[in-house]
Amino acid sequence: MVKEIERVGIPVVHMCTITPISLTVGANRIIPTIAIPHPLGNPTLTAEDEYALRYKLVDAAIKAFSVEVDKQTVFEF
Amino acid sequence: MKLELGFIKINDVQFSNECAVKDGILYVNPEDVKAFIYDNDDVKTYIKSITLDIAKPGESVRITPVKDVIEPRCKVAGPGGMFPGVISKVDTVGSGRTHVLKGAAIVTAGKIVGFQEGIIDMSGEGAKYTPFSKTLNLVMVAEPVEGTKQHDYERAVRFAGLRCATFVGALGKDVEPDEVKTFETYGIMEGAKLFPDLPRVGYVHMLQTQGLLHDTYVYGVDAKRIVSTLLYPTETMDGAILSGNCVSACDKNTTYHHLNNPVVAELFEQHGKTLNYVCNIITNENVYLADKQRGSDWSAKLAKLLDLDAVIVSEEGFGNPDADLIMNCVKQEKQGIKTVLITDEYAGCDGKSQSLADSDPLADAVVTAGNANMEVVLPPMDKVIGMLDYVDYCSGGHAGSLRPDGSIEAELQIITGATNEMGFNCMSAR
Repeated sequence: MVKEIERVGIPVVHMCTITPISLTVGANRIIPTIAIPHPLGNPTLTAEDEYALRYKLVDAAIKAFSVEVDKQTVFEF
Repeated sequence: MKLELGFIKINDVQFSNECAVKDGILYVNPEDVKAFIYDNDDVKTYIKSITLDIAKPGESVRITPVKDVIEPRCKVAGPGGMFPGVISKVDTVGSGRTHVLKGAAIVTAGKIVGFQEGIIDMSGEGAKYTPFSKTLNLVMVAEPVEGTKQHDYERAVRFAGLRCATFVGALGKDVEPDEVKTFETYGIMEGAKLFPDLPRVGYVHMLQTQGLLHDTYVYGVDAKRIVSTLLYPTETMDGAILSGNCVSACDKNTTYHHLNNPVVAELFEQHGKTLNYVCNIITNENVYLADKQRGSDWSAKLAKLLDLDAVIVSEEGFGNPDADLIMNCVKQEKQGIKTVLITDEYAGCDGKSQSLADSDPLADAVVTAGNANMEVVLPPMDKVIGMLDYVDYCSGGHAGSLRPDGSIEAELQIITGATNEMGFNCMSAR
């Protein structure tokens, strides 16, 4: 899906836990997430801390759009 | 470490007033078995009823939903007992002597997670794909107490199955085996002296540990909490590793598979002839990337520490564990250790889609155990042990899988052990 959307000219940030698979399938902007069963959350945190975590992840993804990349890039933050 | 396995050939299983193994026949009194199974707090608390049944090869019988299959075994000499840390006290197993009721199996069934259990057909098309159509099965169907949570139910059925296998296995304790085989691996220096010219080979054994009832236990430890470590191969023959898995039926390693690991068997077959079988490295398949990196880092580090020349890597499950598989491959290959991978494929019904979720050019020696998406039609059976309620929802099934006449149209994925990634089956491809 990432590749097909990019093929029509819309940039994609792929948020995923297993970044090696994302690299293998050819995503260009990759944001590492928490865990496979809960990529954008963490049930061990309090609701407030989890909200902060989610905010940070989505913020990082939005910022990644504005970064020029000339090769596949995993954004560490 | 040296272990003798004494194989007692079982030719028939019968319900009886007594419990015994005589002249190759396993006699079981269901009430005695149940009493032993129930002597456990989890079973007492969470299992409302247990029904025992017998299924034999060639019968028109369907068993579903299947959770685990266990071979009845008994330690007769040497430290520890079967399933250390769970049924027996923690003690290092894998030496001395163990008796095996060869040809018999305990099958546990119940709805557990429902959609992640499998089917065993004792005859017809489905029987071709599961090794457990060829065993004499004592089937234990466990009904939960109302309101029991799935993880409590899973644990109680796991314990119940292991207790059933332990009780039945013990019936072979004083029986003279039909055949005795010896398995021995050596210390690092000793092995190098004995086989100075043979390549040093290890087995990287990946264990399913994704959590949410996708779990494997090592000496009673939930394997998602281990770092990669070493086992003598014979430890696996005494139940050091057991399945707590509710995952796709075709490629989960049941406890029976762990006890009869064909990679271990084949490496022992070649041990001292074409290679020096050094040891097993167990590693897990967790759901955090850091765990995957750590697990594969450590399996590679241990292989290097042991000066291995080559490793066989077997996967369990599919999807994200494909990433663990490839990491285990690449890290070994990059330090000069050759790898052969055993996996299965999810290549679509027509076999034309990408087989694995991850890949790498260094993974250039791969054995496939078959395409789990292949469609099969299973004929109706005269008798069902368990229930058909979950067939449409099982992994590999779809709405309408269970047809009105009792036949089943589904993917191979639904059959227990069909594409086992230790290679405990007959499907492959070139």
